[in-house]
Amino acid sequence: MSKDYQLRAAINQKLIEMGERERLKELLRAKLVECGWKDQLKAHCKDVIREKGLDHVTVEDLVTDVTPKGRALVPDSVKKELLQRIRAFLVQHAAL
Amino acid sequence: MKMEEMRLSGPDNTKLEALMQDIYSELVEDACLGLCFEVHRAVKQGYFFLDETDQESMKEFEIVDQPGVDIFGQVFNQWKNKECECPNCRRLIAASRFAPHLEKCLGMGRNSSRIASRRLASNNNMSKSESDQEDNDDVNDNDWSYGAEKKAKKRKSDKNQNSPRRSKSLKHKNGELGSSIASESYKYNYNTGISYESLGPDEVRSLLTTQCGVISEHTKKMCTRPALPDAELESSSFDIPDGPSLMSRLQWEDSSDISPADSASSKASANHSDSRRPKKKKRPALGLSSAGGSGGLAEGGGGMGGSQSNLSLMTKKKKPKISAAFISSIYDDMN
Repeated sequence: MSKDYQLRAAINQKLIEMGERERLKELLRAKLVECGWKDQLKAHCKDVIREKGLDHVTVEDLVTDVTPKGRALVPDSVKKELLQRIRAFLVQHAAL
Repeated sequence: MKMEEMRLSGPDNTKLEALMQDIYSELVEDACLGLCFEVHRAVKQGYFFLDETDQESMKEFEIVDQPGVDIFGQVFNQWKNKECECPNCRRLIAASRFAPHLEKCLGMGRNSSRIASRRLASNNNMSKSESDQEDNDDVNDNDWSYGAEKKAKKRKSDKNQNSPRRSKSLKHKNGELGSSIASESYKYNYNTGISYESLGPDEVRSLLTTQCGVISEHTKKMCTRPALPDAELESSSFDIPDGPSLMSRLQWEDSSDISPADSASSKASANHSDSRRPKKKKRPALGLSSAGGSGGLAEGGGGMGGSQSNLSLMTKKKKPKISAAFISSIYDDMN
């Protein structure tokens, strides 16, 4: 599967080189803030912090606690739009 | 590269989908991580819980989400139906109409004076037309036209009375007159009004050295324009001629009514205006007449003719301005 790996690497590289990755990233961030995902997750973080104690919170704690929830909380519309854009890019630039 | 890419087509759609999903999840993870770093930094820097105060104030300013109320919990039309008591007329006025009512009631708005004057005019009209109707009962045919004429005339006079123009013109006049000398001018204006016969020669001299002194034929008032300091020197060199002798020499066409005092004053004023001439505006008409006067001058005749026309111009206008070019020429010739 190294070819697969190579393929992925190549596509990723292309994404970055063309600046499409940055654009997608910004787009996702904006949409998540808009739909309230960020505030939701922040509230969840507060709970975690209160639980763990303010002084002893580490990045790892937060990450392990927050990321799965974050992934689940993304609204479908945002997900669909992003997937659409990615597909468009791949079709255009990966000759599919 | 192209060979590998071609392999993704057709049955490799799943690969494409997988790829898509992978890229997507990478992006989401990036977003989550970004948030975690942000929160962690806020916690460690101590500003994470800043938006939370004590429970009491949090409950006090909580966002309200009820119908009919805004997010602060206030009602929209609360004061719409309330009534306020006017401090002036003591009536109960609706809140939304309170401000305009106050404007009219206190007589301070932009339109209130206009409305008041109009009301006064219509009231006068009503009262007057009523009285007329009682007298002119027989003249039924002309009632409409007569009333209309009356109304029109009344309106016009009202307009003149109430408009600022009238007061402005008055102020303007008084301002000019008053600018000369403070109160003395007015005293002289009203007392001397008519003739110099009542005053002695010294008084007349002192009066005429300070003021113009020309008496307008129409209003019989003395001009109180200030004389310039040079005038004193000039006037001392000339004696004010006696009234009767002057009258015999001068022939007046327009000013048959003029009294001896007038001619004396006019002559004297001519002396003063001599020095004043270079500082005043030009008067082309008079200049011409003076030129004519000096051109045809022997001693008295041409000069007198010039002065005659000058005087006629003076009497026609309310504020007599004399440019005495011809006078200077007369006296030059005399000297």
